[in-house]
Amino acid sequence: MSDWTTIQKLLVAIPALPLVATMVTALLGPRYLRGKSHLPIVFGLVISCVLSLELLRQLNRAIENHETGIGYETTVDLWTWASVPEAYDGSGSRKTIGDSTGRLITDVHDASDSSGPFHIAVTLRADGLTCIMLAMVTLVALLIAIYAVGYMHQDRGCWRFFTYIGLFVFSMTMLVSASNFVLLYVFWEAVGLCSYLLIGFWYEKREAAAAGTKAFLVNRVGDFGFALALFFIWTVYGTLNFHDTQNAPGVLGQERLSSMQQEFGRPGESGEGHPRGAQDQDVRTGYVGGGIGLAICLLLMLGACGKSAQFPLHVWLPDAMEGPTPVSALIHAATMVTAGVYMVARCTPLFAVDCAPYLDPRAVVATIGGLSALIAGIIAMTQNDLKRVLAYSTISQLGYMFLALGTGSLVGIIAGMFHLFTHAFFKSLLFLGAGSVMHAMGGVIDMRKFGGLRRLMPMTFWTFLAGALALSGIWPLAGFFSKDAILAAAYDVGHGEAAYASLFLWLTYAAFLTAFLTALYTFRAFYMTFFGAEEIPAEAGHHARESRPIMTVPLVILALGALAVGWIFGQPGATKSGFAGVAASTPSLAVMVHPGYRALDTAAERKSAAERKSAAEKKSAAEKGSVAEKGLHQDSHRRVAIISLVLAVLGIGIAGFLYLGDAREVRAIIQWPVMKQLHRISYGKFFFDPVYWILVVLPGLALASICYAFDRWLIDGLVNTIGRIPSGIGRLFRNMQCGMLQTYALWMLLGVLTLLGSAVWHMW
Amino acid sequence: MHGSMLGPEQLLLIAIGLPLFGAALIVVHCRPDGRLFARQSALVTAILTLLAAGWLLVQFSNHGTEPFAATDLDWFSDPSGIHIRFAVALDGLSAWLFGLSALLVVTCVLVSWEAIQDRAPSFYAMLLLLETGLLGVFAARDIILFYIFFEFTLIPLFFLIGIWGSEQRRYAAIKFFIFTLIGSLLTLLGLLVLIIWNSQHPAPGRPAELTFSIPDLTASLQAAAAAGDGIPVAVQIWIFGALFAGFAIKVPLFPLHTWLPLAHTEAPTAGSVLLAGILLKIGTYGFLRFSIPMLPEATAVLMPTILWLAVAGIIYGAFVALAQSDIKRLIAYSSVSHLGFCMLGLFALNPLAVEGGALQMINHGLSTGGLFACVGMLYERYHTRQIRDYSGMARKLPILAFFLVIFTLSSIGLPGLNGFAGEFLLLVGAFQRAFTHPALDWGWQLKLIAILATLGVVLGAWYMLWLIQRTFFGPLKEPVRDDIKGPVRDLSFREIAALVPLVVLIVWIGIQPQAFLAPMRPALRDTTSMATVAYERGPQLAEVDWNIHP
Repeated sequence: MSDWTTIQKLLVAIPALPLVATMVTALLGPRYLRGKSHLPIVFGLVISCVLSLELLRQLNRAIENHETGIGYETTVDLWTWASVPEAYDGSGSRKTIGDSTGRLITDVHDASDSSGPFHIAVTLRADGLTCIMLAMVTLVALLIAIYAVGYMHQDRGCWRFFTYIGLFVFSMTMLVSASNFVLLYVFWEAVGLCSYLLIGFWYEKREAAAAGTKAFLVNRVGDFGFALALFFIWTVYGTLNFHDTQNAPGVLGQERLSSMQQEFGRPGESGEGHPRGAQDQDVRTGYVGGGIGLAICLLLMLGACGKSAQFPLHVWLPDAMEGPTPVSALIHAATMVTAGVYMVARCTPLFAVDCAPYLDPRAVVATIGGLSALIAGIIAMTQNDLKRVLAYSTISQLGYMFLALGTGSLVGIIAGMFHLFTHAFFKSLLFLGAGSVMHAMGGVIDMRKFGGLRRLMPMTFWTFLAGALALSGIWPLAGFFSKDAILAAAYDVGHGEAAYASLFLWLTYAAFLTAFLTALYTFRAFYMTFFGAEEIPAEAGHHARESRPIMTVPLVILALGALAVGWIFGQPGATKSGFAGVAASTPSLAVMVHPGYRALDTAAERKSAAERKSAAEKKSAAEKGSVAEKGLHQDSHRRVAIISLVLAVLGIGIAGFLYLGDAREVRAIIQWPVMKQLHRISYGKFFFDPVYWILVVLPGLALASICYAFDRWLIDGLVNTIGRIPSGIGRLFRNMQCGMLQTYALWMLLGVLTLLGSAVWHMW
Repeated sequence: MHGSMLGPEQLLLIAIGLPLFGAALIVVHCRPDGRLFARQSALVTAILTLLAAGWLLVQFSNHGTEPFAATDLDWFSDPSGIHIRFAVALDGLSAWLFGLSALLVVTCVLVSWEAIQDRAPSFYAMLLLLETGLLGVFAARDIILFYIFFEFTLIPLFFLIGIWGSEQRRYAAIKFFIFTLIGSLLTLLGLLVLIIWNSQHPAPGRPAELTFSIPDLTASLQAAAAAGDGIPVAVQIWIFGALFAGFAIKVPLFPLHTWLPLAHTEAPTAGSVLLAGILLKIGTYGFLRFSIPMLPEATAVLMPTILWLAVAGIIYGAFVALAQSDIKRLIAYSSVSHLGFCMLGLFALNPLAVEGGALQMINHGLSTGGLFACVGMLYERYHTRQIRDYSGMARKLPILAFFLVIFTLSSIGLPGLNGFAGEFLLLVGAFQRAFTHPALDWGWQLKLIAILATLGVVLGAWYMLWLIQRTFFGPLKEPVRDDIKGPVRDLSFREIAALVPLVVLIVWIGIQPQAFLAPMRPALRDTTSMATVAYERGPQLAEVDWNIHP
C-alpha cells in the first residue's frame, strides 16, 4: 500500500469513504444518529468529492507527462476475486471455434500458448472516462445529499435513506473505476439494487413496492443480455479484463496494441483453414467481428438499454419516480442511468469491429438512441405528473447520448459523454426543483393541481428556469453545447459517405424534431407550474412556501453549473486538459485517433494495407487536431447550431402561446383528427405497459400455473400411481383372505386344479 | 479447547462422534418433558461440533494435503478378500459440505428453541443423530460406511418430518422415505456391481480384490480405463443408471422432484433447513464422488441428457415456484431450480463450471437454509404460510425483513453475494463448453442449454422479488388467527444469532470466492479430468455398442 502512487491512493479512497460512511450510518443510524443520519454520508461525500477533483488534476498532469503508448491509464490491484488456472483452452478453442459451419467464432489466440487462467481481480483503474465520471458522480451526489437533508428530515426512515444513498455512491464509484467486465457487472447490479431499494423506499405504498420490483426485473432482462455478452467475450477472447487495461495480464485484444504499433494486418491469416474466419476477424484491430462480434455488441447494448432506460426496456424509469425525489435526481437522472452510456463508450473498440455481412452494431446503437429520444419526447408532451415529464425527458436525453455513441466518431463519442456530463447538472437541478415544488405542495406532483408558483417560490422558479433553458438547449447554457455537438456529429455522418448515411440522415431529422419537442414539453411543464393564476392544492397546508436554504443552496449551485459547465468545458480552444482532451486520453477512445482505427465511413472500402495506413494516418492527424484545438465545436457545424437554436426558441414560444393563460388552444388542437390520435398515443405512453403485460407477464403467469398443474397432476400423479402398484397388488391378495371357509376351499381347489393341469400339460 | 493437543485425525472422529454422544446423553439423561436440558445440551453439542469442524477446515484450507485427517481402521475382514474399513477423511469435495452441515445444525437448534414444545428431547436427539449421519456421509471413504451413514440420515429425518411436521406430515414423511429408499437401494446395487467388476477386471499391476475403499476403487477403475481396459461404455451406462436413481432423486433432478416440495413444506423448520441445506447436496456429492470419476465414459455420453434435465429443472422449477401461494412451497420449488444450476455446473465438464457448481452447492445451502429459517420464524409468529395472509410485514418485523432480503438477494444471484460467484462461474463455464466443443451434431443443444440456464436467473429474480413484494412490502396486514399468542415481536437475539453466521459467509464468499474455490480445486480437477477427456473425444449415445461381451 505504501508504494502506491497518489493516483492509486485517491482511486481507492474515493469509493472507500462512502462505504465506510454507509457502514457507520447502518450501524449507528437506527439507535444513535436518527435524525442526524446524514452526517457520516455528507461528510464522506465532501471528502470524496474533493479527492475526485484532485484525482482529475493529478490525472491531467499525468496525461501531460505521458507521451508514449495509446492513451493513459493506471490500475490498482486489491485482491483476487477468483482465479482458476488453465481454464481457457486456447488450443481447444482453435480446433473447434470455427465449428462445422465455420462462421460463428474465429480463432483469436493463435499466437498465445494453449491455456490461460480465468483470472478476475478486484482491480480499480483510473483513466480519462473514469475520472470524469468520478468527479461528476461525487459532486452531484454531494449536492443531492445536502438537499436530501432538508427533504427527508421528517421521514422516520431517514437513516435507511442515507444508508442506501451511501451504498449507491460506493457502488457507482466502483462501477466507473472497474477494470474488468465482471467487476463492472457486479457494481452494475449493485447500483440496480440500490435503485430497487430506493424506489421502494416507501414500501408501504403498493405502487412504490411494485415499481421497485418492476425496475429490478426489467433491469434483469437487460443484465441477461449483458451476462451473455460477458460469456461470449470470455469464450472468444479468453479474458474479461477491459480491452485497454494494459497493466493487467491477459488483456483482451492485446494483439491489437502490438499489431497497431507495428504493422497493419497479422501474419498467418492465410484464409485457407477457415475462409470465413479470416474475414470475420478485423485484421486491423485484433477484435472479432462477424456474427459473434455483432452478437457481443447487441447483447451489451441490451444491457445498456436496461440500465439506461432505452427503448424497448425504458418502461421501468417513469415508474421509478415513486421513490423520493432526491433519488430520482441522483440515480434516475444524473448517475445510474448513465451507466449504460458509460459502458458503451468504454466498449467503443468492440463496437467498431467490422461485422460484415451483418449489421453494423453502431447503427443499431444510434437507431435505438434516436428512437428512444423521439418516443420519449412525444410521450413527455402529454404527461401531467411533473416528475414523469422529467423522467421521459431523461429517457429522451439518454437517447441523444446513444445516438452520439452510434456515430462511431471520436467527436461523436466525446459529445455523448459531454452531454452525459452537462445533463447530470441540469437534469438533477430540474428534479430537485420539482422536489422543492412537491415538498411545498404537500406531496402533490400533478401539474393540473397547482400553478402560478413563481411568486411563492422565487428561488425554485429561477433555478428551474435555468435548468429548463439548459435542457432546451439555449445558448450559452450547458445543454446547448453538448446537444449541439451530438446533432453535429450525427449530421456529419448523415452527410458523409458511410454505408448508413441515409439512416443517420433520418436520425438527424428525428433528433432535430426531438430538440423542438424538448423545448416544448419542458416549457409546457414550466408554464403550468410557475405561471397562470396561483393555485395551491389543499394537501399543501402550511407547507406552501419556499424551501429552506439547505434545499435551495444546492439548487443554486446546480443552476450555476447548468449555466456554466457547457461554456467552460465545451468552448473552442479547450486544450488537451479540457473535457475533450481528458476524455480522449482514455485508451479505448485514444485508439480512435490512432492509425488503424476503422471509422464508420470507411467500412465499405477495402484498400490495401499500405493505402489504408496512409489514409488513416491523415485522417487521425486531422481528427486529433480538430479535437484538441477546436474542442467540440467545429466551424462547419454553425448551421446545425443555428437550426437547433431556432427550433428550441420556437418550442419555447409555442409552449408559451399554448400554455400561458387559458389553455383553450390546446383543447382546440387536440380536436384535430391527426392530433387526436397522436394525443391518444402519447398520453397512453405508446401502450408499452399494457402490451408487455399481455405479451410477457400474463403468458409467464399462465405458464407458471400450467407447470404447477402439470407437476401436481401428471408428474406427481404418475409417481403416486407407481406407488400404488404394490399396495394395489396387496389389496388384490388381501381380498382373498376374507376369513370365509368356502372361499379358501375354492382357492385351494383352483390351485390344485392348476397344478394338476400343468402336470398333465407337461406329461403330454 | 484442547484443539492444539489433538491431531486433525482425532478431531475428525470427535466431530463425527460428538453429536451421537450428545444424542445419547439427551436420551439417557432427560425426562420426556425435559425441554430446557435437551435444547441446551443440543446447542452445546452442536457448537462444539462446529468448532471442531471449523478448526479442521481452517487447517485444511491453509495447508491441506489430501486426504486430510484420514483414519483408516480395519472393520470387517473376510478371508475371501472382502475388506470393509472404517475409513474417514476430508478432501476438497467434502470439506465445505462437512463444515456447512455442522454450521446449519447450530442454526437448526436455535430456530427450534421455542418452536419445538412437544417431545423436545426426542427431537433434539433426532437432530443430533442426523448430524452424525450427515458428517459421516461426507467424511466416509469406504462405500459400505458411506452407505450406512447415507441410510442413517434417512431415519432421523423420517421421524423429524413425521412427528414434528405440519398437517400432511405422515404422507410427506412416507413419500420422502420411500422415494429415497428405492433410489438408494438401486445406488447400492450399482456400487456393488462396480466393486465386483473391479475385482474381476483389475487394472494391470493391481491386485484382484474386493475393495470397498472409495479412493482405491476410483484409482483402480481410472487406471484400468487409462490402460484402455475400462468398463465397456454400455455397462458403464447401466451402472450409471443405477447410481443415478439414488442421486438424482436426492438432488432432485427433474422429473424426480415431487417428494421435495412436500417434504420441505411439511417438515419442521429445522428439517426444512437441513433438507434444503445439506441433504440435497448428498445427491450432487454422490455424482461428484462416484458417478463422474468412476464412470467417465458414461458421464461423457449421458452429459447432454443430464444437462437437459438440469436446465429443465431450472426453468420448470422457477415457473412452478412462480405459481405458488405457500411461502415454504415456493422456496422448495426454488430449490429444484437452484439444484438444476448445480447439476449444470458439475456436468458441463469444464473447469470453471465444475468449480461454480461445487461452490453453488454451498451457496444454496446458505441462502435456502437461511430462507427456510426466516420463513420458519415467520410461521412461528403467525401460524400460516399463505402468501395472501401477509402484507407489509417489513413495518412490523424490520429485522426479519432485513435478513429475508439478504437471503433473497443471495438466492437470486446478486453480485457481491455468494450466489453470483457460483452462478457466474458455472454459467461462464457452461458457455465455454457449449461454444468450444468438438463439432458434434447436437452442439446446438448445448448452446441452447447455456442460454436457457442464463434465462433462469431472470426467472429467479421474478418469483423471489414478487414474494418479497407481496409479503413484506405494501400496507401492513397481519394474519388474523386465534392461535397467535401475545403480541408479535421482531427477532430475538437468539434468532439473530442463528442467522448472522449465514450472512457472514454469504458476504464472504461473495467478495472472495477464491478462498473457497482454491481448496476444492485439486480434488475437483482429479474428479472430472477423466470424464472431460472422455467427453472431448466426442462420444455419442447413438454410437454406443450395446452388445456386452463378458
